[in-house]
Amino acid sequence: MAAPHTLPALAEPGTVGAGPAEPSDRRGTRFAAPGRILGYAVLVVAAAGLLLPFFWMVSSSLKTDNAVFSIPVTWFPDSPQWANYVEIWRISDMLVWLKNTVFLSVVVTALQLFTGSFAAYGFAKARFPGRNLLFLVYIGTIAVPWQAYMIPQFIMMSEVGLTNTPWAVIALQAFSAFGVFLMRQYYMTIPDELCEAARVDGLSEYGIYFRIMLPLSVPALASLALLTFVTTWNDYLGPLIYLRDPDLWTIQLGLKSFVSEYSAEHALIMTGSVLSVVPIAVVFLLGQKYFVQGVATSGLKG
Amino acid sequence: MSTTTVGGPRNTAADRTKRWYRARRSLQGVSFVLPNFLGFGLLTLGPVVALFYISFTNWNVFGKAKWIGLDNFTRLLGDASFHRALLNTLYYSAFHIPLTLALSLGLALLLNRKLRGVQFFRTAAFFPYVTSIVAIAIAWNLLFSRDAGPINQILGLFGVDDPPGWTASSTWAMPAVIIVGVWREMGYYMLLFLAGLQTVPPELHEAARIDGANAWQRFRNVTLPCLRPTTFFVTVMLTIGSFKVFDLILVMTNGGPGQSTLVLSQYIYQKGLVENRFGYASAISVVLFALCMLVTVVQFAVNRRRNA
Amino acid sequence: MRHRHPQWTAIAAAVTALTLTACGSGEPADTGGPVTLTMSAWSMKTTPEFQKLAESFQAQHPDVKIQFKEYDATNYDTQLTADLAAGSGPDLYILKNLKNFITYQGGEQLLDVSDVASGLGDKVNGIGNYKVDGVTYAVPYRQDSWYLYYNKDLFAAAGVTPPDETWTWAEYEKASADLTAGLKAAGSPAKAAYQHTWQSTVQGLALAQTKGADLGSGDYGYLAPYYKRALEQQQAGSQVDYGTATTNTLQYQAQFGTQQAAMMLMGSWYVATLIAQQKKGEAQAFQWGFAPAPQPDAGTKDKPITFGDPTGVGVNAAIDENKVAAAKKFLTFAAGEGAATALAGIGITPATLTDPVVQAYFGVQGMPADELSRFTFTTHDTRAENPVSAQTAPLQNILLETHSAIMSGSTPVDEALTKAGERARSEVLESK
Repeated sequence: MAAPHTLPALAEPGTVGAGPAEPSDRRGTRFAAPGRILGYAVLVVAAAGLLLPFFWMVSSSLKTDNAVFSIPVTWFPDSPQWANYVEIWRISDMLVWLKNTVFLSVVVTALQLFTGSFAAYGFAKARFPGRNLLFLVYIGTIAVPWQAYMIPQFIMMSEVGLTNTPWAVIALQAFSAFGVFLMRQYYMTIPDELCEAARVDGLSEYGIYFRIMLPLSVPALASLALLTFVTTWNDYLGPLIYLRDPDLWTIQLGLKSFVSEYSAEHALIMTGSVLSVVPIAVVFLLGQKYFVQGVATSGLKG
Repeated sequence: MSTTTVGGPRNTAADRTKRWYRARRSLQGVSFVLPNFLGFGLLTLGPVVALFYISFTNWNVFGKAKWIGLDNFTRLLGDASFHRALLNTLYYSAFHIPLTLALSLGLALLLNRKLRGVQFFRTAAFFPYVTSIVAIAIAWNLLFSRDAGPINQILGLFGVDDPPGWTASSTWAMPAVIIVGVWREMGYYMLLFLAGLQTVPPELHEAARIDGANAWQRFRNVTLPCLRPTTFFVTVMLTIGSFKVFDLILVMTNGGPGQSTLVLSQYIYQKGLVENRFGYASAISVVLFALCMLVTVVQFAVNRRRNA
Repeated sequence: MRHRHPQWTAIAAAVTALTLTACGSGEPADTGGPVTLTMSAWSMKTTPEFQKLAESFQAQHPDVKIQFKEYDATNYDTQLTADLAAGSGPDLYILKNLKNFITYQGGEQLLDVSDVASGLGDKVNGIGNYKVDGVTYAVPYRQDSWYLYYNKDLFAAAGVTPPDETWTWAEYEKASADLTAGLKAAGSPAKAAYQHTWQSTVQGLALAQTKGADLGSGDYGYLAPYYKRALEQQQAGSQVDYGTATTNTLQYQAQFGTQQAAMMLMGSWYVATLIAQQKKGEAQAFQWGFAPAPQPDAGTKDKPITFGDPTGVGVNAAIDENKVAAAKKFLTFAAGEGAATALAGIGITPATLTDPVVQAYFGVQGMPADELSRFTFTTHDTRAENPVSAQTAPLQNILLETHSAIMSGSTPVDEALTKAGERARSEVLESK
């Protein structure tokens, strides 16, 4: 794409000369040596605090069942039960659950990204009567607790035969108002002048969306993708209500039913919980790179 | 600007073109929203509208819903448990919203840098949101344990003789839940802020620096204004999320001890799914909805005024 | 929203009458081929009772096939309610919680099975709970009761006489104090007792054992002595306090199974669990037994009063007409001696307790063999924890909140109970 427009409206006149020859965010972040050490110390302590409960999970997953809850808390098991990580695959259907969850999460994320960002463009940059009211309706539905209307919804879904299929969960999550709202807010930060200029250049609205907005909104799309993925991955109530057949269970549903089946096997339950987090951690680490390639670096290279 | 390019000398034909142009743009706008709206309208809006209807009935899942007018709502006026849940929800929100907002923004600013290991720290910050909420509840409850819990042991080192009972105390259960709520969600909102920070043009920072602005002034005058749409989004989501807080409380305290952490969503769950009084539960939902919308509309107005 | 036609019940009843006359005329003559009945179940891997029921039934009725629809154990009623509301419920469903029976019954989701009930007679424990206005809507296949489990080894170590069938609460308190001192002297870290965090552990016995106590009265003074005792036991250090138990998510299986406590009040389902855990080595090997729950006075020693809810099975009101006869056959079987013997053989407490059933129960490997356990199993007056009424669920919610307020020490007993009564009246009882 060869759109020659940078962000002139935002850049103040005198600054253009200074130019971003040196990435300014790097300069801005440099700690002075003692400050750097202190900064890292703070970060390390904060990270330890943030991860402490997760550490407890890992440590419990290596204990025997009756040793998980004890007074006082043991943080380091005497003889780690690595066998738990083998046992879990044997006695549960983790593989099936993982497969189902990956499928759901990927499909939901893809649909949410597309329909959400597409609709968001309509709300942010297009003009049609009732636009703001409709947008408020979208936000309004976020404000209604799902547990209050899930039964009417369930009855509706079962009328069309969608219950007990993965499509029910996909349909529920793929069109959520959250994605529309997130993307709309992001598009609001992109100056209208850019769109106007593109229109003058003869680009259609769809062209603007595909060739300007999408490339510019990579960081927002990345965060929407991550959050949707995690939400779907960790969703419990949706699958609980809609999926009966054990072959369709997701990881959360499987683990919870595992909790009620093997209510005394706490170590294994924690093993399962630890394993369920690993894929998300991987996705998160991979998704990171899209946060630095923002507008400044990837958007308008021309 | 586009109007000037399209609009020529004023005559009826031009007017018609203009109208046609406008209609086409409207149609195009609608076409953007339509794919999402089809799913949204059918799957979410429909049942939500049904919920509003149900709130005026005595529906109990089975059998017919009888229209009872405003009965559910008048009952709410005298329902002490509902009042308690409402107050608790406001208590939770009053602390959870500002704390999460400040901490998630702080984290995002701190981690929007080229530090060594920044990916690890971002992951660490996001991890609480990812970790199974049941495991979180169990682990935090252990940490909060009055006699043997690490938190009170640390407080003891600082000379606190009579440490709080946290989740086992009706006074301290709410602060405990707020702490865990902030801890869990700040990574989530950090992620949104991180995405938002990518839109702040580095040229502006550069310019401000050349003008001699210090870090705080640059934050106030460059970062914050550019971040406004994101901040607005986060504030609205955070507000609604706080008013609707549910699963965290359910697994951490189940509303207890007594009713000290009973919140609206949980009360809705109790009345609806536990007691099958969906008419009444729907009425509470409508109140919760109205509350969220009130705050959201105020936020909209404030946001618009700031933008203007 | 979805309206289930009231005439359904009438049609179903008519059909039933027809099929029954057919049955009554001689051999059970099923018209048509084999019938498949769907039935709800949960946690099937670890709850063998459903398979056991189906297998033993199918052995007698090869023409009927039972197919399970598995639900989540914790959210069983939510999932089942959704299915029933959407018209996709199973033919037969288990009434897992007596508290919610009234919802299904009142919502016209259960077929009238009075004929099955009258055929069974009154030797089935807990069957009366499913009778509403003279009509029976389900039959129980298990009837659990609460016992006092005790660790014989710890009693011996502490030099305290183990319980017998005449124990009153006064004797319990005395033993508890002796155990606390004796275990300490013996150098054991165990406590005298473990009281789990559930409201049942206090409220269930109080409701069953107090004369005139009525959940629906809105007067909860009857709970006071039971709460005061629990708090005293906590303060005396005879049992882990409530706050510690909740914040550390203590599990009763681990507390009793790893000898952290010498006594524990718990339902009869724990018998099978403990045997299984001892077999697998998850629980330590020690001698144990169960005794009747302590009584308020010696007056009830011939038939000690305890509490427990039955687990029943009912027929979906929307079942296919041609399946009704088979479904009723299943109910008759499930509540009768045949199923009871099969269930007792895996350590479950069935609703029917005839001699062969008792024999099968105590034939289970690892089961305590002493006379006291046998007496406890066979002789008790078990009252429902959740008397059937539309008000029970909301009242129990209020009492649950009251439980945590009292046990955590947040609110004094009398104040909390007075408040519970006020709330019951204003939120539940006066707004029928």
